[in-house]
Amino acid sequence: MADLQQYSHGAGWKNAVLRGLLYLVLILFALYYLFPLFVMVSTSLKSLTEIREGSLISLPRVITFDAWTYAWNDACVGVTCSGIKVYFWNSVKMAIPAVLISTFLGAINGYALTKFRFKGANVVFALLLFGCFIPFQVVLLPMSQVLGKLGLASSTPGLVMVHVVYGLCFTTLFFRNYYVSIPDELVKAATIDGAGFFTIFWRIILPISTPIIVVSVIWQFTQIWNDFLFGASFSSGDNAPMTVALNNIVNTTTGVKAYNVDMATALLTGLPTLLVYVLAGKYFVRGLTAGSVKG
Amino acid sequence: MSSLTLDKVRKAYGPVEVLKEINLAIEDGEFLVLVGPSGCGKSTLLNLIAGLESSSGGEIRIGDRVINDVHPKDRNIAMVFQSYALYPNMTVRKNITFGLEIRRVSAEERDKAVASVAKLLQIEPLLDRKPAQLSGGQRQRVAMGRALVRNPDIFLFDEPLSNLDAKLRVDMRTEIKKLHQRLGATIVYVTHDQIEAMTLASRIAVMKDGILQQFDTPQRIYEHPNNMFVAGFIGSPSMNFIHAKLISDNGRLAISIERGSNPIVLPLKDAPESYNAYVGKDVVFGIRPEGLTHKRTGSEEPGSQYVNFDSKVEVIEPTGADTMTVIEIGGKEIVARVRPDRAPHPGETMTFSADMSQISLFDPVTELRI
Ligand SMILES: Nc1ncnc2c1ncn2[C@@H]1O[C@H](COP(=O)(O)OP(=O)(O)O)[C@@H](O)[C@H]1O
Ligand SMILES: [Mg+2]
Repeated sequence: MADLQQYSHGAGWKNAVLRGLLYLVLILFALYYLFPLFVMVSTSLKSLTEIREGSLISLPRVITFDAWTYAWNDACVGVTCSGIKVYFWNSVKMAIPAVLISTFLGAINGYALTKFRFKGANVVFALLLFGCFIPFQVVLLPMSQVLGKLGLASSTPGLVMVHVVYGLCFTTLFFRNYYVSIPDELVKAATIDGAGFFTIFWRIILPISTPIIVVSVIWQFTQIWNDFLFGASFSSGDNAPMTVALNNIVNTTTGVKAYNVDMATALLTGLPTLLVYVLAGKYFVRGLTAGSVKG
Repeated sequence: MSSLTLDKVRKAYGPVEVLKEINLAIEDGEFLVLVGPSGCGKSTLLNLIAGLESSSGGEIRIGDRVINDVHPKDRNIAMVFQSYALYPNMTVRKNITFGLEIRRVSAEERDKAVASVAKLLQIEPLLDRKPAQLSGGQRQRVAMGRALVRNPDIFLFDEPLSNLDAKLRVDMRTEIKKLHQRLGATIVYVTHDQIEAMTLASRIAVMKDGILQQFDTPQRIYEHPNNMFVAGFIGSPSMNFIHAKLISDNGRLAISIERGSNPIVLPLKDAPESYNAYVGKDVVFGIRPEGLTHKRTGSEEPGSQYVNFDSKVEVIEPTGADTMTVIEIGGKEIVARVRPDRAPHPGETMTFSADMSQISLFDPVTELRI
């Protein structure tokens, strides 16, 4: 230790300079990423007059939440002017069932693939894994045909189904990888105790799956809430999700451009995913790295 | 009633045969230990008996009932796993009663059953804890409690002690033995530890590569191992194997071990008929360390079971009770078990007595007992 300190002492000033440079670069990166957020928040809190007169980066002189309430209650999407709130609820009605169903099915799949290794389990898993790499665009046309045949075209249940099907590959992968590390002996013991497939799942496997459920929920919620392509393709008018409505508001070409409303709408749209991360983020990291039960 | 019979039981995973024609039969109340090196198929065999795997052939019977196609829960067996497999989300009490609950035993009876098992295993203070809050030994007890509470026909244990530290392992071994004596239960117990096998079993089945090598009482297996594998696997330190020749010395059979110009000749005592075919041929002479000792009193009298020979001592390893003395014969290191007060110094030449009443001879090619 003493030797080491002596050694580094000689090159002390050099280290300090390098360290300073490192921090400078890091701070620049951080600013680069934070700046747009700052502009959005600050703009959303200004009045239109102030935006027109002031500069992009100046702080608001008078803080006003008018743009936020306007975005929520009165902004025009197409011809209806009842704010983003309708579409917020559309997104909620789409995302919550889709997240829950895809997570639940992923859990059952992962459980069956690891603990009840039926014939061809590996093939099924390989195919599911392949599903993770199918780009959105490829499934658009066949999916719209299927939705049409099922009578679910342009409806929230239809969107839920699309997201469940598309998300299943990911949730299955999560749960499968988590359950691989849970000892098979647990299932064997329960089998001898007389429990069947679903009893074991409900009573033993699911209660120890909290970390991976959190991972799956966060992942799926982020994907589904932020999705634009499926929303734009498979919904129409009143039942469009929030992302599609946001696009309509921002891209309206008539009238004066209300930047503060645009920013407030965008922030409102992004808020739920942010909230999920803040509330469950630490479980997310823990779940990604977690082993499961100790022997 | 709860005897267990395995009749030509086989198990294959695809083309890989993991178990080959296993025949075993134990009576009600016996303690069968399946022992063998890791990967020899012990757990697979236990899983077949439990019904967690299905056999590729043969018949498994409990009492007179063929159970090949009976679901594990209906076989009336209970199993204790190496990892204990306690349900992590349930308290100890729930862990123990889970099986009863599934079988729709009333809450009142469950409480009674758990109380009596907890008393028997002295885990009463632990009943409301979760498995994560227990030590290894305590988890082990809970796992046993889960098996005991069901009062099954047959208990199956898969290496239940191998995750415990040495001291606890010995204590729990004694407890399992006591439990067996007290309950008179039929037990099938898997281990790779030959000492556990010797101390616990009423009968031992030694396995290797999916083949049953020998099925007999511990003493018979120790004294009359069927082949060199069993001889080397059972007993610690393991049996010495020395390449030798079986010769006829003035009409008396003897073992001749090459050693430069000065071979060791050990006349046999009460040689069985089967040896005659091997006169003049190479054999493997097997003798356990306790059969090779310091010079015994009476070893020079005619008709003694002891034969003396001299050898230089290479290394000594005191264990307290005995001193393991390593000598070199025919290029191989041989271990003798010497009383500490008679222990030599390394480099010395000493007289050893070989106890010819407890030797084994093996065919050097087939490795089978002669
Ligand atoms: N599901 C399986 N598929 C293929 N081979 C298996 C399977 N389970 C066990 N084996 C093989 O069977 C052999 C015996 O395994 P096991 O019964 O666990 O051995 P032991 O308990 O004696 O250590 C091992 O060689 C193992 O690789
Ligand atoms: Mg095993």
